[in-house]
Amino acid sequence: MTGGEAASGILAAFLAEMNRIPWFSSCGTPLNAAETKTAASYVAALGLGELPVAGVADWRGAQALAQRPDWSRAWWDAEIKAEKNLHRQGARRFGKIDFLAALTAVTEAASSIHDAAVAVLARAHLRDQGLAKAAAGAASQACHQAALAYLASAGESHPFALKFHLFSGGRWPLGIVQERCFVF
Amino acid sequence: MSAAHATVKSVAELKASEPEYQTAVRKIVRSHAVNELYGAQVYDEPAIALAPNPYLKWLTCRIAMEEYGHHVRFRQLGEQIGIPEEEMTPKGRRPLSIFEFPLQTWEEFCVVKLLADLAEIIQVEDLADCTFLPLRNLAKVTMPEEIFHSQFGKDTCTELVKTPAGRKKVQAAIDRYYPMMPAFFGKKDSENNALYRRCGIKQRTNEEMRRDFIGRVKALVEGHLKLKLPEIAEAA
Repeated sequence: MTGGEAASGILAAFLAEMNRIPWFSSCGTPLNAAETKTAASYVAALGLGELPVAGVADWRGAQALAQRPDWSRAWWDAEIKAEKNLHRQGARRFGKIDFLAALTAVTEAASSIHDAAVAVLARAHLRDQGLAKAAAGAASQACHQAALAYLASAGESHPFALKFHLFSGGRWPLGIVQERCFVF
Repeated sequence: MSAAHATVKSVAELKASEPEYQTAVRKIVRSHAVNELYGAQVYDEPAIALAPNPYLKWLTCRIAMEEYGHHVRFRQLGEQIGIPEEEMTPKGRRPLSIFEFPLQTWEEFCVVKLLADLAEIIQVEDLADCTFLPLRNLAKVTMPEEIFHSQFGKDTCTELVKTPAGRKKVQAAIDRYYPMMPAFFGKKDSENNALYRRCGIKQRTNEEMRRDFIGRVKALVEGHLKLKLPEIAEAA
C-alpha cells in the first residue's frame, strides 16, 4: 500500500462524516453540559489550563467577539504549534506529496461548508457574505486540523479532535478572549 | 480587430476546431490556472498569519480556499483540453513580477486584494464574453468570488485608513505594489493578445484593459481612500 492509499484510507470515514455534519445548526442555542465539558477539555488539551466556557447569543455577537482586540494570542499560537507537530509527523509517515494530497481532499470537501453557513444565516434573516465566509473558513480550518490529528492517530482527546467534535455538533468555537473560552 | 470567431460550445467542439484556436484556449487556461495558484500560495495563505484577529484570519482562510478553488476549476478545464498537469502549476513557470514580492504586512495583503483582484476582475470580465463556452461559464462562476475579494480589499483598506498609522501603511503598500500592476495586463502589441482577440477569447487589447484598470484604481485610491497613486512608467 502506498502512503497516499494509506492516508486516503484513514481519512475516508472522516470525509464521510464531514458530509453529514449539520454545520452551525446549534449556534445561538444554550450550551449543554457535554458541550461545555468538551470545550473545557479542548482548552486544557492545548495546554492553556482550566478556563471558564461561555456561550454566545447570536451571530452578530459572535462576529463582534471574533474581532475583539483582546483575543488570546496564546490560544492561536498553541493551535499553530500543534498543527506544525502533526504536519511533521504526517509528512514523515506518509511522504510529503501523498500527505498533502490527502489533506487537499479534505480542503476540497470543506468548500461546501460555505453553503451551509449561508443557509443558516438566511434562517437568522442575515445576508452577510463576510460572516458566512469567516464561519466557513473557521470550520474548514477545523476540518484540516482534525484531519491532521486523524492521520497522526492522535486520539479523541487531542485538542483538534475535541474542537472538531464541537463543530460536528453544530457549534462554532470562537476561541479565547479575556481568559474565557467562547463557543457559539 | 473584432471577435468574429464562431462560438465553440464544448471541449469536443474545441478538439475539432482549428489549431490556432486550440492554442489560444490552452494558453489562456494555463495562464489562469498558474496565476490563481500563485496568488493563493504567495498572498492568501501567508496572510492568515498576518491577520489581526480570528475573524479576519478565518475570512482569509476562506479567501485562500476560493482562490485555490479557482485554480482547481481552471486546472480541471485544462486537463479536459489536454494541457499537461505540470504546466498548470507554478513549478518551472516564470511568475508575474508581482508574485516575486512576498507579503510583509497585513496592510499589504489588503492592498493586494484591492489592486490585484480588481486586475483579475478586469481580465475575467473579458472572458465572460469569450467564444469558448466552457471558459465563459467558468468566468461567470468565479466572478462573484473575485468581486467579493476586491470588495474585501476596499473594505479593509477603508477601515485601515481611518487612523494615521494605518493610512501611512496602506499608502506604503500602494507605493510598493501599484507600480507592478500595469505589467499584469501584458505587453502593448502583444502577440498573445492579438491571438486571443482573433479567436474571440478576449475582447480588448492589453492597453485597453490597462487603461480601464488605471481609471478604476484612481477612483478607488484617490477618490475613495483619498491616498496618492505613485507615478508609473508607460508599459512597454
